[in-house]
Amino acid sequence: MKDSIKAWFTHQSLDNSKRTIQVVVFLSLILAMGLSGNILFAFKGLGTWLLSEEKSAQIFTSAYDHFATQLPHFIVDEDMMKLLPQTTEERITWENVRREFGRTDMAFIAFGNRRKSIFNGESLACLWDVSHALEEVKEVDEVLSISTMRQMTNDGGFLEISDLQPSRNMTMDEVEEVERYLNKYPRIKKRIVSRHNDYVNIMIKPKIGIDNSILRDKMVEISGEFLSKYEIHYGGVPYLFGTLPTLILEDVLILMGFGIGILIAILALNFRSVAAVTLVWGVIIIALVSMMGFMGWVVTLTGSEKFHFTMVNSTMPIILMTIAAADGVHILTKFFRELRKQKHVEKAIRVTMDRLLLPVFLTSLTTIAAFLSLVFAPIEQFTGYGITVSLGIAWAWLLSSLFLPAVIIHHKWDLKSKAITHLSFIEKIVSMYGRNVVRFQKVILVFSVGVVLIAAVGILFIEVEVDFTKFYKPGSEIRDSVDFMNQEMTGVMDIDIRVEGNLKSPESLNQMQVIQEFVDSHSHVCSTLSIVDIIKQMHRTIMDDDPKFEIIPESKEKVSNLFTLYSMSGTLDDFSSLIDYEYQTGLITALMGHITTTVIIEFVRDTEEMIQSITNDDIQTNITGILVIMRELVYSVIRSAFTSIAVSIFMIFLISWVFFKKVLWALLSVTPLVSAVILNFGMMGLFGVDLSHITAILSAIIIGVGVDFSLHYISQYRNTAKSVVSLDTLTREVVEDVGYPIILDAVSNMGFGALLFSVFVPIQYIGGLLIFAMVSTSVATLTILAIVAELMKKRLTTN
Amino acid sequence: MTELILSLLLFTQTGLEIAERVGERLQPKDISSTAIMVLANSKGKTRTSVMKLRSIDDNKKQIIWFVEPKDDKGVAFLKIEHDNQESEIRMWLPAFKKVRRIASTKRGNSFMGSDLTYEDLTNRNLSENDYKYLKDEVVNDHNCYVLKISPKPKAKSDYSHHVNWIIKESLVPFKEESYDKHGKLKKVKSFVFKKIQNYYVIKQISVKDVQKNHTTNIQFNHIQVDTGVDEKLFHEKNLKRLPRN
Repeated sequence: MKDSIKAWFTHQSLDNSKRTIQVVVFLSLILAMGLSGNILFAFKGLGTWLLSEEKSAQIFTSAYDHFATQLPHFIVDEDMMKLLPQTTEERITWENVRREFGRTDMAFIAFGNRRKSIFNGESLACLWDVSHALEEVKEVDEVLSISTMRQMTNDGGFLEISDLQPSRNMTMDEVEEVERYLNKYPRIKKRIVSRHNDYVNIMIKPKIGIDNSILRDKMVEISGEFLSKYEIHYGGVPYLFGTLPTLILEDVLILMGFGIGILIAILALNFRSVAAVTLVWGVIIIALVSMMGFMGWVVTLTGSEKFHFTMVNSTMPIILMTIAAADGVHILTKFFRELRKQKHVEKAIRVTMDRLLLPVFLTSLTTIAAFLSLVFAPIEQFTGYGITVSLGIAWAWLLSSLFLPAVIIHHKWDLKSKAITHLSFIEKIVSMYGRNVVRFQKVILVFSVGVVLIAAVGILFIEVEVDFTKFYKPGSEIRDSVDFMNQEMTGVMDIDIRVEGNLKSPESLNQMQVIQEFVDSHSHVCSTLSIVDIIKQMHRTIMDDDPKFEIIPESKEKVSNLFTLYSMSGTLDDFSSLIDYEYQTGLITALMGHITTTVIIEFVRDTEEMIQSITNDDIQTNITGILVIMRELVYSVIRSAFTSIAVSIFMIFLISWVFFKKVLWALLSVTPLVSAVILNFGMMGLFGVDLSHITAILSAIIIGVGVDFSLHYISQYRNTAKSVVSLDTLTREVVEDVGYPIILDAVSNMGFGALLFSVFVPIQYIGGLLIFAMVSTSVATLTILAIVAELMKKRLTTN
Repeated sequence: MTELILSLLLFTQTGLEIAERVGERLQPKDISSTAIMVLANSKGKTRTSVMKLRSIDDNKKQIIWFVEPKDDKGVAFLKIEHDNQESEIRMWLPAFKKVRRIASTKRGNSFMGSDLTYEDLTNRNLSENDYKYLKDEVVNDHNCYVLKISPKPKAKSDYSHHVNWIIKESLVPFKEESYDKHGKLKKVKSFVFKKIQNYYVIKQISVKDVQKNHTTNIQFNHIQVDTGVDEKLFHEKNLKRLPRN
């Protein structure tokens, strides 16, 4: 950093401190205004909780909501599809299929009582009430259950398309008739009744573009109203995604609570000064609010979905809190050390800023570089994450470099306090460590490298997992519901095969049948459905219900006649989710239970290969559905993880090279990071932590945060090298000087531990791994980097 | 002066009287025509069918043969309405060489995938509906009566009510709005009649299901009346015989 720039910062923060505080607070307020809409909604939430229903309805009218939505605000989103770039072939196919057939991802409500048959008048009456109430919900396109289904029957040559459940209240004979009909068509029954007939399923097809959380709330409300006597289970992508926004917000608030608690405790224990803790917290809070406000502004001004707040972003506030704390910790620690020596506040802060402005700038710049590397990741929302956190870090740097010294100089410090006169516990340990690191340098180096090499083996065992149902803890209500749906019902994951061709032609239909049978034969597939099933059912019905005619007719005229016959008493809308209006495009839908990501990849690949081998010019096919999207997400996750590692390490290398003017320093600055990344992924492989679109962000965080330690070390090394008398004491002095803030920084990063309390499993993993990463990067800096620097001190200290 | 007296007389008519006059309108003994039916869904995709039609007794007996689409050529449909029992509907499926009876119990079922249900196609029984005269209105230069028709419970209708615009001069419907059981607008139908000999014969029906955003347009061509269509034609065996013209 040029001296003139350094001088400008020192002048603004120390000589114009009041003005600097005002300007920084004012600019932060402008950024924070990006949260105005959210603040109004938070008031509404609080008001509705505190006030009576009548009073809150008077205050928080629809005009209030409208006004709040017009103000800048960030958006909590749960749509997994937005993770994939809009140009991805899989996303395009998915959207095309939605346009043609409506949504293929269903929500499910299953209810019943274990070991008690659902085939009784009372249960079917409840099913009727729930199904018809759901049909009235404006977010719902179609409801499929015993109560809404149509049946095809033949009675003396009379083709009747009628309601399977003709009325709410049914006689026992009528109920038995429904059961008989479903037993005749097990493929249909499997979709709507559980294996032991004790639960009944309602499949809900949502409209396109609706808010899943509204649908989810209405599903729960309606079920609660009519199904109090039954065990209720919910499932399906719309339900899970609809649950996410509230869960994410609750999770973020809980995590922040824990994060704040942990950070305050750590800072208080180490600084032993209320003023120091308050100052660091001032920086954290202002940086956090500014960052979230920035997100609101970007979404409001650009409408970019990349900046929506998703499960991926849940870690963001904790990440920024800990990063923002780091600079403050370094400045205050150095300030206390200088104050101990100088006994003069202004002198101490001037020396501190002179020494730390460059490393604080450099660490912020490299951390920003690491987070900006996420822009190159194929997962769309990593872009928003990277840019937003980068802005937060930049703001935290500005606050630490201008606002913090300006406030420090205004504060009346008690020079006799223990915080200033006495070394802390960590400082004493670090001093001892500094002596030993030089003494046992080779042993420590061999041991450290050995640990890294052993961990590297673990990388081979890493598995990628993007099944969002596994993001919920086993035993949680949502996970139990999903597990129930997978075990007892048809499963909740869909794979859909779009078939294009003349779908009245038996040749095309036969090929479609072969594909469907292949999909059906997979052990994880619970149920499949296509227009072929309907045609076969129609054929059987008009041929006097003879089961041997449950086949595709041999001529297209027959197929056409069947459709025409159906249209005389049914409506062709009944098939709108299976075939298009012109009989040119059909859809095979399959529902699956528990399936691991590895099996997903194999299954999608096998299906694609099988389709290629049997199809000819008669039909063209595309595969889509949640499974295919998840398969694509797996590739994106892997690409994202590796891209962010490569780009961030390269950028940090470049920045270090430019600032330290030596390739060797640049190499040394990334050495602890590479070791930490290897250790992290190795540990993930060894301990069975899956790589997901949530944990893929880890490498950027580790590199972004971990780089601070090596940069502080190198800066201090270079500074000390200029003044030290003997090279023999150089490393020891550097470790003593910078070791404490590095360890304190790493300890204060234990705020990441708050993530262990998340309701989402991958975020818990992030918490655990980040704690490990902070320990490994700081230890790697004070061992591998320190020892390598000690071994190469002659080369490093010569110009 | 005569016009003034006439209009006063008409003004005092009840809805039922207007409906009776509409029902008493002179009808041909038989009608022969070809029809082109175009169905269009909300995405603008269409399906076209061409049919030959014969009917007698004010459409109470009707036979329809499909000419297009090619795959459905020869499919035929016979409907006979009875006053005191359910209508008979039969269909000939040439590819299966079978005649199949069709359920007509569901009056709300759609006819041939169109926006017309069997209820829409059946003549309204005066005793099963309440008729209320609402007002006079000029629509597209036509002087119309506006009637509200509310089916009685015994009619087992799928509608809560209809609003019908009847052209005063010809006593033929010009437009009709049908409302579902919740009172929400379900369909808008418009009619074009053509005067052939002394009869007003339907030339075109357009229906839009506003809730599904689906439309049906039926255009009748080559309309002939009173050509002496034999009542024996309306028999199952004739379903198999597609007429040449």
